[in-house]
Amino acid sequence: MSLMARPNAWLNALVNSMSDSRVFAWLAGHVLVPYWAWKTPVYKQHGGPRATVQPGDNVQRMMNLILPLKDKTAVGRAQAAMAIASNLDEIYAGLDNVGTVHFARFVIIENNMCMISSYDGDFSNYIRDFVAQLGTVFDGVVALIEDGEEMIPTRDNIDAFINWVHDRDVYQIPDTATDLLHYGTIGHPSANSGEVADLRLIARSLILQLHANPNALLGSGYRGYPGASAARIREKMGLGW
Amino acid sequence: MAERDMARQLVDAVIADFPDHKRGTRPAHTIGIGAKGRFKASPIARDWCHAEHFQGGEIDASVRFSNSSGSPDQHDGWSDARGMATRFHLPGGAATDLIAMTLREFFSPTPEDFLAFAKAAIPRPVEPPNPWRKIGDMLRLFPPLPDPYPGQKTSSVGGSMAYAGLHSASQLAAFDASFLGAPVSYARATYNAVHTFIITAPDGTTRYVRFFWQPAAGVEMVDPKLSPVDDYLQSELRERIARWPVEFLLLMTVGEVGDPLNDPTKSWPLHRARINMGTLRLTEVPADQQAHCEKLAFNPGRLTSGIAMSDDPILTARKAAYEVSREMRGGRACPFETQ
Repeated sequence: MSLMARPNAWLNALVNSMSDSRVFAWLAGHVLVPYWAWKTPVYKQHGGPRATVQPGDNVQRMMNLILPLKDKTAVGRAQAAMAIASNLDEIYAGLDNVGTVHFARFVIIENNMCMISSYDGDFSNYIRDFVAQLGTVFDGVVALIEDGEEMIPTRDNIDAFINWVHDRDVYQIPDTATDLLHYGTIGHPSANSGEVADLRLIARSLILQLHANPNALLGSGYRGYPGASAARIREKMGLGW
Repeated sequence: MAERDMARQLVDAVIADFPDHKRGTRPAHTIGIGAKGRFKASPIARDWCHAEHFQGGEIDASVRFSNSSGSPDQHDGWSDARGMATRFHLPGGAATDLIAMTLREFFSPTPEDFLAFAKAAIPRPVEPPNPWRKIGDMLRLFPPLPDPYPGQKTSSVGGSMAYAGLHSASQLAAFDASFLGAPVSYARATYNAVHTFIITAPDGTTRYVRFFWQPAAGVEMVDPKLSPVDDYLQSELRERIARWPVEFLLLMTVGEVGDPLNDPTKSWPLHRARINMGTLRLTEVPADQQAHCEKLAFNPGRLTSGIAMSDDPILTARKAAYEVSREMRGGRACPFETQ
């Protein structure tokens, strides 16, 4: 059918091309998102994995801490690198003693110190164990991070520190897209409260949640050996643990 | 009797969703192609389930790939679910079936709900969305409604999405269906059996599991920006199998505490352990498709010792509905071991 064959065909073609245009991308990012974030504010979701009782979800959990450095120069980044490099024995001994960690790594990305790990069990206990083992190392790192001063010494502020870490663990987008409908917006509990839900609302819910939570883990991730704890893998590999 | 009445209602409801449906053909997944090959269980399959086809030897298998529509019109390039029905020909002469589709979940948790869903999904005339409405949607940060495919006159999408808007159980399937796309090949899609089954291990341990087929060639979808091609999937499969066998892994996920065991509208987490139960190797597209494919009557309730149905109401209803459908179209009967 030619563009002239039906009314509005030319406008339809224009609108279709507009949705991918840089102009609309700018309008959406700079005007529409702030407007809808103001008009229908969403509850900022907590970081880290969802609470679950399922055995398969309580192993190989993911932590992705993003900690903005105070000093955003190469000097600040070097200080962060040295805070780790000068404490390798403490870190390795702590990781071995905690025993629930599959992997852990420290990464500096654009003036953020990132601590990325995969661990078994409860998040609070994970952090509590680490503070017991690595309190002085944490203190050295946290001292370089924005809003970290009040947490030092971490051993004396353990519950506040767990919350501080939790707030900086990146939000995990649910595996099931329609869960986004159930977040609701402030003042409107959820799409399941009897009102009609347009499933296209999922797109806006995602956008507004990522406006509130700029960093995100995309779902719970792929696992090469799912359902196996670090302890079980060590045992099967005959490492003597 | 009530079960059979419901089965008849379900079949009629599906047929009503395709006004141009041809009598004597399948009410849904009408257009398809059959292939033959062999299934070989993995070395660990027998540890999980004592069913005959998981004991390690190679057995014959028949497969029918299909588009989900009950219309005789073929639109391979349209976004829609695809089916993969598999018959395992057991050494003792019996058979067991596994019916799977590219959607990871079903639209309804009960037959009654499915009747209402099917009624809502009756196709309605479809026009290109008003561009001003599209602009309104974009300003609301909603994805604008897509234009119909060239030549498309009716659509059930509006009705099913409206139903899902009011019924949370249908939302995940309706949402996922809107992203399905069209595979570049029947051999390049993942097919999910959706329902929970109960398997029994040699030591008597029973487990709740779900099965899915994963293509060895990987998953690949057609670029949705390209103009859709109506007829390519069957010729592509013929050409592919003539060159090289098509392989699928049969993977199994074990349910955990809290998993929905009788609700096919809820998928299980993707990150769960995937147990490799065996490999299907398709080597032939039979020339006589009527005899080797179209007359076959698959049934998700045709199971064998070692695999049992869960109390999923949709699975129970499908077992009866597929039998009604077989009778209506004169499909070849295949006895149920449990009868």
